[in-house]
Amino acid sequence: MLLINMAPSLFVRRALPILISILMPGWIFSQVSDSLLSIQKLKNLSLDELMNIEVISVSRQSEKLAEVASAIQVITNEDIQRSGATRLPEALQLVPNLQVAQAGSASWAITARGFNGAPISSLTLANKLLVNVDGRSIYNPLFGGVQWGVQNVLLEDINRIEVVSGPGGTLWGANAVNGIINIISKSSKETQGLYVSGAAGSFLQDFGGLRYGGHVDSNIFYRVYLQRYDQNSTDLANGLSNKDAWNMTQGGFRSDYYQSKRNTLTLEGDFSEGYYGTADPTKINSQDILARFAQVYSEKSNLSIQVYFDHDYRNSPSQLFNQDLKTFDLDFQHSFSLGNKQSIVWGGGYRLMNDYEGNSAYLSFIPASREIPIYSAFVQDGIELLPKLLKLTVGTKLLDDFYTGFDLQPSARLAWTKDEHQTIWAAVSQAVRTPSRWDEDALIPGIVVPTQSAKLEKVIAYELGYRLTPTPKLLVSFATFYNHYDNLFSLDYNLNTNPKTYFANDLLAETWGFEFSGNYQVMEKWRLRGGYTYLSENFWYANANVVPGTELLESNDPKNQITLQSILDLPRNFQFDVVGRYVDVLETKAVTILAPAYATFDVRLAHQFKQVEVALVGKNLAQSTHTEFGAAEIPRSIFAKITCRF
Amino acid sequence: MQVLKTKFHTGLLLFLLLCSWSMPAQTPPNREYQVKAAFLFNFAQFVEWPPAALPELSTPLVIGILGEDPFGSYLEAIISGEKINGHPLKVEHYRSLEEVKTCQILFLNITEPKKLGQVIASLKGRTILTVGDAPDFIQEGGMIRFFIGNNKIQFQINQEEAKSQRLIISSKLLRLAKTEGPGKK
Repeated sequence: MLLINMAPSLFVRRALPILISILMPGWIFSQVSDSLLSIQKLKNLSLDELMNIEVISVSRQSEKLAEVASAIQVITNEDIQRSGATRLPEALQLVPNLQVAQAGSASWAITARGFNGAPISSLTLANKLLVNVDGRSIYNPLFGGVQWGVQNVLLEDINRIEVVSGPGGTLWGANAVNGIINIISKSSKETQGLYVSGAAGSFLQDFGGLRYGGHVDSNIFYRVYLQRYDQNSTDLANGLSNKDAWNMTQGGFRSDYYQSKRNTLTLEGDFSEGYYGTADPTKINSQDILARFAQVYSEKSNLSIQVYFDHDYRNSPSQLFNQDLKTFDLDFQHSFSLGNKQSIVWGGGYRLMNDYEGNSAYLSFIPASREIPIYSAFVQDGIELLPKLLKLTVGTKLLDDFYTGFDLQPSARLAWTKDEHQTIWAAVSQAVRTPSRWDEDALIPGIVVPTQSAKLEKVIAYELGYRLTPTPKLLVSFATFYNHYDNLFSLDYNLNTNPKTYFANDLLAETWGFEFSGNYQVMEKWRLRGGYTYLSENFWYANANVVPGTELLESNDPKNQITLQSILDLPRNFQFDVVGRYVDVLETKAVTILAPAYATFDVRLAHQFKQVEVALVGKNLAQSTHTEFGAAEIPRSIFAKITCRF
Repeated sequence: MQVLKTKFHTGLLLFLLLCSWSMPAQTPPNREYQVKAAFLFNFAQFVEWPPAALPELSTPLVIGILGEDPFGSYLEAIISGEKINGHPLKVEHYRSLEEVKTCQILFLNITEPKKLGQVIASLKGRTILTVGDAPDFIQEGGMIRFFIGNNKIQFQINQEEAKSQRLIISSKLLRLAKTEGPGKK
C-alpha cells in the first residue's frame, strides 16, 4: 500500500513525460504523410492541373536525405501555417529535435542536443548549430551563432525546414557540431500570384506581409515581397518593462530562370532594417544577394555553383556588440555515380568575412577589424554494400580555418533498409567548431585580454537511429546519441596574472540522449505530429585552472521536452489547430537564466472563404506569463490575422 | 471461461498488431500513383481508337494493368460512373501477358527492359495504348511514359508507335508531353 501511495509522486516527477510520449501514439516525427487526394477533386482536374501536382512529398525527399543516415526532421509549409507562427524562431519551436527558448521579445536561444549558452548582452552564445537560408549561411563569426532577432523570412514562401540533429560536418561545413537547420524557400514558380496578409494583436502588435509572383515567359519566374513587424516588450518579474520592443521591415526577391530542362539559374536577395529596444534602440540593417546555377543530369548526377554576398550591420551607442560584417562566399558541389554501386558527392568552398567590431569601454575586440578567410572541401562516397539493403556512406570535410589551420571532419554512416517500412542506421562522426572572435579577440577590462590562441572545439558523436513507417499514415523515428566533447570554451584563472581570468579551452563534456518523433494522419482531416527529446549532460574540467561553473557559458538546457501539434480540418472550411509544449526546468547555476519547467499551448482557429483566410491565434495560453530563458516574461497573447491569396 | 476470454482478447490484440504492421498490399497508393491514375483516365479522353476497337456504344473502354497493381482501388474509384464518348470504363488486372484480353489502355508495371521489350512487341497490332513508367519504356517501343520532373508527373509520347497502331493522340496531349525525360539517354 505504501508503495502504491509513493508511486504517483515519483511517477509525476520523473516518468510522466516519458510515459506520455510512449502512450500517445501520434507524436513523433515530422514528415508529411502521403495524404490521399480526393478522388472527386482529382478526376475533375485538367491535364495541366494534374501536371502541377507535386507528387514527391517532402517525406520522400527527406527519405532520400535519410539514406545518409542521420536524425533528420522536416517541418513543412503546412505545419508552419497551421501553427500560428509568425516568425522563423516560432516556426522552429515546432521541431521536436531543437531546443528553442525565447529569451526576450526578439532574442532566442536555439540549439540541438544541448549547448544553449548563457546570454551576453542580447546575444545568446549557442554556437554549435549551423543555419542556412536557401544555401546562405547565417553564421556570425563574432560569437559563432545566429542573431535570431534579425532572421526573418516570409513564412508563406517557405517550402520546408529541415533539421538534422547531430554532426553534419562532412557535407555542411564547420560549426555543424550539434546540428544543421536548412531553411528552404519555395521557387518563384511555386509562388505565383498575390499574397497579402495583415495581423494585429497584443504581443505581436502588428504584422504586414505582401508578395507578388509573376513570370516573364514560361521559363523566367520571379517574386518580390515586403513584410513588417512591430512587437511589444516583454516584462520582468518585478512588473517593469524589459524594454525590448522591436520593429523590422524586410523585403526581397527571388527569380528562377529555367534555361533548359537541366539548367536552372536562381537569383535572390533580401534587405532589412529594424530597431530593437525602446530606450536607445539598436539599429540593424542587412542586405544579401545570392546567385546559384544548378545543372541536373539525373537523380544522382548534378552540379551546383553558388555565390553570395551578405552584409550585416548592427549599431547602438550604448549597447555591446556593434558590428559591421561583410561575407563573401563561393561554393560548388558535384555529385555523380561511380559504377552502379557508388555515388560520390564532392565540392569546395571559399568564404571571406570582413568583420568590424565597434568597441566600447566594457567590451572590445582586438584588432577591431579582421579579415577572415576560410577554405573548405569535402568528399563523400555512398556505397551500396547490398543493393537497396545496406548502404555505407563515408566522407570527410577538409577545413582550413583562419585561426586554427587545417583540420579533418570525417564521418561514417551505415543504413540498413530492412524493408520499405523500416530503416536502421548508425553513425560515427567528428565535427569541429571554429573559434569565434569572442573566443579569440575579446577584451573585457579587468576580466580577460585577447588569448589569440583559441582551439577548435571537437566532438566525436556516436548515433543510432530507427525509422519506421508501418502504414503510410504513420511515421515514427527514434534516434539516440552519445557525444564526447573536447576543448570546449572555458573561463580559466591564474592568480599571478592581471587580469586574473582568461578564456581557454579546458572544458570537456559528454552528453547522451534520445529523440523520439512522429507524424500520424489519424484520419483524413486530422493529423498529429510532435516528439519527445531527452538530454543528459555531464561536464568536467581539463585542469584545476578552470573557474567552477564555467559550463553555464556553454550549456543551459532542459532534460525533457515534448512538442505536440494537432492539425484539424473542421466542416465548413474551418481549421482548428493546437500546438502544445512541455519544457523541463533549466537546471543551471546561472540564476539569471534559470527557468522553471513550463507547459503551454497555442491555439489557432481559422476560417477560409474563397481566397480569404481569417485566423484568430492565441499563444502561450496556459499562464499569464512564463520564463523560458532568463528574466524576460513571455506573455499570454492573442492576435487576429487576415490573409488573401490570389 | 474468464481465462478463455482473456486469451481471446490477447489473441485479438496480437492479431490487430500483426495486421497493422504487415500489410503493404492493402495500403492505399501513394500520391504519385493517385495522380497517375487520374492521368490514365485523362488519356482515355484524349486518344482516339479506330472504330473497330470500340465497335458498339456498350463496348467498355478497358484500362488494363499488367503486373503488380500500384493503384490499389484508386483507379476503379476514379473511373467509376464515368463514360467516354458513351463507352463505360472498366479496369482489368492481368498477372501475365497471356491473360491480357481486349483492352484499349494497358499500364505495364514491368521494369526489366528485356521483358518489357518482349511484352510490347507481342502487343503490336492490337490497337492498345501502352503506358508505363520504366526508364526504357519508350526505347522498348512503349507509347506513353510517365516520369517525375521537378517533383511533378510528366510524360513523354512516342507518337510514331501510336500512329503505327492507328491511335490518334490529341494535339493537346502531344503539346503537354515532354520531348525527353531524365531517364532517356
